[in-house]
Amino acid sequence: MILFWQSLINGLLLGGIYAACSAGFSLAFGVMGVVNLSHGDFVMLGAFITYWIFILAGIDPFLTLPFTFLILFFLGFFLQRLTINRLVGSPPIMSYLLTFGLHLVLSNLALRAWTADFRTVQTSYSGLTMSFAGLVIPYSRLATFIMAMVVILGLYFLLYRTETGRLIRATAQDREMAQLMGVKIFKIYTLTFALAAAITGLAGSLISFTFVIHPQMGLPFTITAFCVVVLGGMGYVPGTLWGGIILGLVESLATTYLTAGISVAITFFLLLIMLVTRPQGILGKGVVEWSKGS
Amino acid sequence: MLMRRAGLNGILLPLLVLGVILLLIPLLGMAGYRLRLLSLIFMWVALAGCWNLMSGSTGYIDFGPVAYFGVGSYCTALFMLKGGFPFLLSVFMTGWICAALSLVIGLSTLRLQGAYFAIATFAAAEALKQVVLESDRVLGIDFFGGAHGLTLPSPPSGIFFYYVMLFFMGLVVSLTAVIQKSKLGYGLRAIKDAEQAAELTGVPALQIKIRAYILSSSLIGCIGGVEAYWLTYIIPDDVFNVMRTIQMVIMTLLGGMGTLLGPVIGATFFTLISEFFGAKFVYDYLIIVGLVIVVVILLMPQGIIGTLVKKRGKSSWLF
Amino acid sequence: MAFLECRGVTKRFGALEAIRNFSFVLRPGEILGLIGPNGSGKTTLFNLITGLYTPDAGEILFKEKSIVHIPPHEICRLGIAKTSQITMPFGTMSVYENILVAALYGQNLGMAQAHVAAERILAVVGLHERRDEPAGKIPAPLRRRLELGRVLATGAEVLLLDEVMAGLTPAEIEQALMLLKLLSTQATIIMVEHVMQAVMGISDRVLVIHHGEKIAEGTPIEVAGKPEVIEAYLGKRYT
Repeated sequence: MILFWQSLINGLLLGGIYAACSAGFSLAFGVMGVVNLSHGDFVMLGAFITYWIFILAGIDPFLTLPFTFLILFFLGFFLQRLTINRLVGSPPIMSYLLTFGLHLVLSNLALRAWTADFRTVQTSYSGLTMSFAGLVIPYSRLATFIMAMVVILGLYFLLYRTETGRLIRATAQDREMAQLMGVKIFKIYTLTFALAAAITGLAGSLISFTFVIHPQMGLPFTITAFCVVVLGGMGYVPGTLWGGIILGLVESLATTYLTAGISVAITFFLLLIMLVTRPQGILGKGVVEWSKGS
Repeated sequence: MLMRRAGLNGILLPLLVLGVILLLIPLLGMAGYRLRLLSLIFMWVALAGCWNLMSGSTGYIDFGPVAYFGVGSYCTALFMLKGGFPFLLSVFMTGWICAALSLVIGLSTLRLQGAYFAIATFAAAEALKQVVLESDRVLGIDFFGGAHGLTLPSPPSGIFFYYVMLFFMGLVVSLTAVIQKSKLGYGLRAIKDAEQAAELTGVPALQIKIRAYILSSSLIGCIGGVEAYWLTYIIPDDVFNVMRTIQMVIMTLLGGMGTLLGPVIGATFFTLISEFFGAKFVYDYLIIVGLVIVVVILLMPQGIIGTLVKKRGKSSWLF
Repeated sequence: MAFLECRGVTKRFGALEAIRNFSFVLRPGEILGLIGPNGSGKTTLFNLITGLYTPDAGEILFKEKSIVHIPPHEICRLGIAKTSQITMPFGTMSVYENILVAALYGQNLGMAQAHVAAERILAVVGLHERRDEPAGKIPAPLRRRLELGRVLATGAEVLLLDEVMAGLTPAEIEQALMLLKLLSTQATIIMVEHVMQAVMGISDRVLVIHHGEKIAEGTPIEVAGKPEVIEAYLGKRYT
């Protein structure tokens, strides 16, 4: 029975992290309709930035978070300006392919630069755990979870309580109308994508000391983001919290009671079942396009 | 007269000549590496052509075709290994199994549009890969061979596979040509241009999409089966690898989606480049591929053939 | 005999009732005008009849059989087709091919027969000179004619025409009216129009819709005099 609760706790903590890693993906899709297949690579980059700063300068990972945020913000900014903005109005396949191309470039450049070795960030407090009613909770995981919650809340605050956030949401809901009301669409898009990249990079930084990192870790995170976002509702950022937690719980329980490999299969089946039966997400607030022939 | 109606007269002669040349090549003495390279090109032309048949025609971007390649590989391998069936019969039966599977997957996913269809098909492919990878362990059987995969009996010579792949390439290209001017072809294009309007004019969109999907998927499955025998061993990480999907997509995109010759040109070009550069500089190669994709998308989204078509101003049968 | 009938049809979008308790009967061979201010629900009604939307309440009957849960392509095959206010041509195909598709699938013909039918319709709508042009590139009024051509090529018995006269010159309107009169000998028509003299001049009967409800029904003269109708269009001050 203890195993069950431990598994549950693990899943919850994992879920919070998944949510933070996926919020940017949902944002990009909700506002611009872009499915960013290089999403996971932003996680990877965030993780590596934190890693290298830690290794080279000895700075504690938590302190490098703002730095990562800024770097990824600018990366996202330039990527959007140079490439993705040109695809606004094109058929969606263009953005899939473009972002996939970006994925290939980013992940393989990273591989070239940093080799395929697995790495972790080992701080003085990495291994410390706390015990609670017989359950073991690593401090780093807990701290990461809390930071992830802060990130998501921060994003929520930004989107729903600030003027800029309102503009972003208005653009997401009705681009033409927003344009007519004087919103500079391309600026909003650039800002949105930069924000999405920054948040994702931030999440990547957070996971650098709870996960093993390597240059090819991006793609699985992109897939995780798909899952989380479909569960929570595409384009509905608050939903990523629920999506992340559900996925985290499912994966954790599956890994405990079945095998790790099956847990991956379950992720996909879950995704598939969601897409086919309830693509608007658990809460029903996702953006869905039904094909007109059905 | 029928030929002229279909607009075939311009292309028929050159194609026949090319076909005859290709048929004669092994007999003229080409062998070994070069023969294998040609066979590889035929395979990729066929695969890209299948993807084009579905996604190029309907505009529904399928990110899961490798699922059928993998399923096809395993089906043929299992038919031959566990069932003792001869190769060609195995491939034939594999085609039908993939058709049935694609009917199921198609019915559920083709109701979705845009990103959802792409993600759903991608998820289906990955899910199938995991099933094949983990089934043995979970069910406690020895069937799929887990991560080690399956090994097939010794195959016939390279010349045999040359002709088989040539056959499939010819089949896919011919099918694409025939469909383009058929009732089905018009229905597909109508759906691609304006699905709702197509429905309103009587086009049963779901049915039409499924037909293209089943056709494409079952052929991909057959080709997967052929490759299994050709390589004599299959592992899940290879036959279900998403890179295969990506290659099919890039080749078609590079050549021109929805055109007849697009996949042919794209696949040939890409396979040659991969062969010459891929083995030597793995990481660099992928970086370059990535950059090529980005550049093509931004500057030449219609692909080589498509851009040529735009310059000519009107579309001809060939394109 | 009621050819096409709506009984108590209601359609909601979230909290908005776009169509409320709408009932009417269409008789074979007649031209029914459907008028009402913008946003009153005319296009929604057409979408309901052609199967793009499903009503939340009520029934839609064609030749006495319910068509409520039938997919749009089947409804087209059964004999109801509509034009769209925002034209949706098959952009990469030629004008001719657009009509061909409608003939192929709407009437379920083979290629040879479809070609024959398409040639005929092409001539009827007068688009012969533009036959090979990509449908996405022709000017707007011609696109509307193409919509009409597609609808005709489906062989539909009931034609739902959504503002086919918008943006036409008076001379073109005259031509269009003559065409419609010709068509009404072989088909039944519901016309949504804002061009008043056109719809009032040619319709056998007129329905007036406002905020999703039917507020008047009768011959053009009867309807034009009704205070509810004037109020709907011009506001209370004018009645």
